[in-house]
Amino acid sequence: MLRYIRYIGAQAWQGFWRNPVMSIASTATVAGMLLLSSFFVIAQRGLDVSLNFLQSKVELYLELDDNAKPSDILALKTRIESDPSVDHVLYVSKDEALTRLKEVADKTGQVSLADVATNPLPASLEVKMRDAQQTKQLASMMRDEVGKGVVTDVVDNPSVVDKVLTITRVLSIGGISVLGLMLFVTLFVIVNTIRIAVHARRDEIEIMQLVGATDSFVRWPFIIEGVLVGIFGASIALLVLAASAPPVMGAISGFLTIVPIDFGPLFALALAGSVLGFALVIGAIGAVISVRSYLR
Amino acid sequence: MSTLTARNKASRGSDRRNVIVLEDVSKQYPNGTRALQDVSLAIPDGDFVFLVGASGAGKSTIIRLLTRAEAPTAGRIEVDGEDVGRLTRSHVPHLRRKLGVVFQDFKLLPAKTVYENVAFALQVTGHPDDEVRERTDVALELVGLSKRRDHYPDQLSGGEQQRTAIARALVGKPPIVVADEPTGNLDPVTSWEIIQLLSRINELGTTLVMATHNQEIVNAMRKRVVALEHGSIVRDQAQGGYQHA
Repeated sequence: MLRYIRYIGAQAWQGFWRNPVMSIASTATVAGMLLLSSFFVIAQRGLDVSLNFLQSKVELYLELDDNAKPSDILALKTRIESDPSVDHVLYVSKDEALTRLKEVADKTGQVSLADVATNPLPASLEVKMRDAQQTKQLASMMRDEVGKGVVTDVVDNPSVVDKVLTITRVLSIGGISVLGLMLFVTLFVIVNTIRIAVHARRDEIEIMQLVGATDSFVRWPFIIEGVLVGIFGASIALLVLAASAPPVMGAISGFLTIVPIDFGPLFALALAGSVLGFALVIGAIGAVISVRSYLR
Repeated sequence: MSTLTARNKASRGSDRRNVIVLEDVSKQYPNGTRALQDVSLAIPDGDFVFLVGASGAGKSTIIRLLTRAEAPTAGRIEVDGEDVGRLTRSHVPHLRRKLGVVFQDFKLLPAKTVYENVAFALQVTGHPDDEVRERTDVALELVGLSKRRDHYPDQLSGGEQQRTAIARALVGKPPIVVADEPTGNLDPVTSWEIIQLLSRINELGTTLVMATHNQEIVNAMRKRVVALEHGSIVRDQAQGGYQHA
């Protein structure tokens, strides 16, 4: 058994280098496909993380008239809370608003508010959204309330969310189509590479079959050759990713300072694992397809 | 080779078992050519049989059916107790290990030496290294190529190439050796050497089936002759000649 495995390994290795141009071309194709896939996965993941962050931050601030009746404020709060896209509504009184501001000021130590005599801050309703996409609609509804005695101003920040949402959607659709195409091309290249390897050894295969070698004995070296192409491609892709990750991540964090992008500790490991696993599987599948047509 | 000698001695008895049986075998190709029609033939263990006939008479078809390169359209073929026509694809390799095959064009691998070509047959059927070495040495000794073991096929004469191919056919110790026009590419003297070698292998106990249209050899050997014409057996004669005596 061990001898058989050694034989298969040696044959596959020989097969890989018998036609180095084709083997390297298909390895490069695999590496390119995996890099592109990884790029999409990383970008998607980054956008998901920042979208979650932004969504958790999405609030509508309704600044309230100092003279508004508490019962009217409560009525408005209840009305907003009944909207299914709203998570919850928080009432922040004038005093609370001032206390918060003081806390922030103390932390940053820039301005001393200790001796502010009157409170210039309005009371407000902070609306936390459950569905960030509905923020715009709710905001425009609330703007209609301005001037009716309760709400004085509506503050929202939906434009960032809108943009991230659009990018995410475009990236998903574009990414999946490009990946599908790449998958097809890669499979095609691997099938062709192995077919050339099989063709180069057709006399040997004929004699192997003649003297009673089993189909699996004939087939395995080629499958392992396909897997080799996969492993090499994955290694190249992972090396490029590892080398480019720190500078790229640095640039992204520098660009999006407000959004803390944290992929989690397992993300890199999971990505590397999937890249390698995917490469192995596609190499093996490509080889099986090309050998099958030869062994009938 | 001691087991071969033992088998030979045992098979000298009168009621030897048939290692090859064809019963009403027909082969028709998809294009309509009828290569064989209702051929029945029994070959006992240890026999030496010539298949003779003009090109297209069906000699090669019989050999292709025996090795399961093709399946019969009708009839039953048995090789060493196995129903060849009903073998599943996964069992074909095991049939092939029971049949050593020799061709007119040798079918040697040019990038491998004599030794490697012969050893290859054992390596790809999963024999351990020391067994491969030992049996390859014995086979090369038998065909008289021990001194040429490290030569490549293109450094050999036609006769030496065919002897390499015969060593490869023998090295797996098959009970049957099938030769399809083994002297077709060789000059008369070399042809005789090859026939002497095959005859010796037969004497050591291996059943031998040889398709040929070399009249001189068939006439001189006085072995069993099965003559084919247009896909049918027209004569089956012990100690026969190429033409009807």
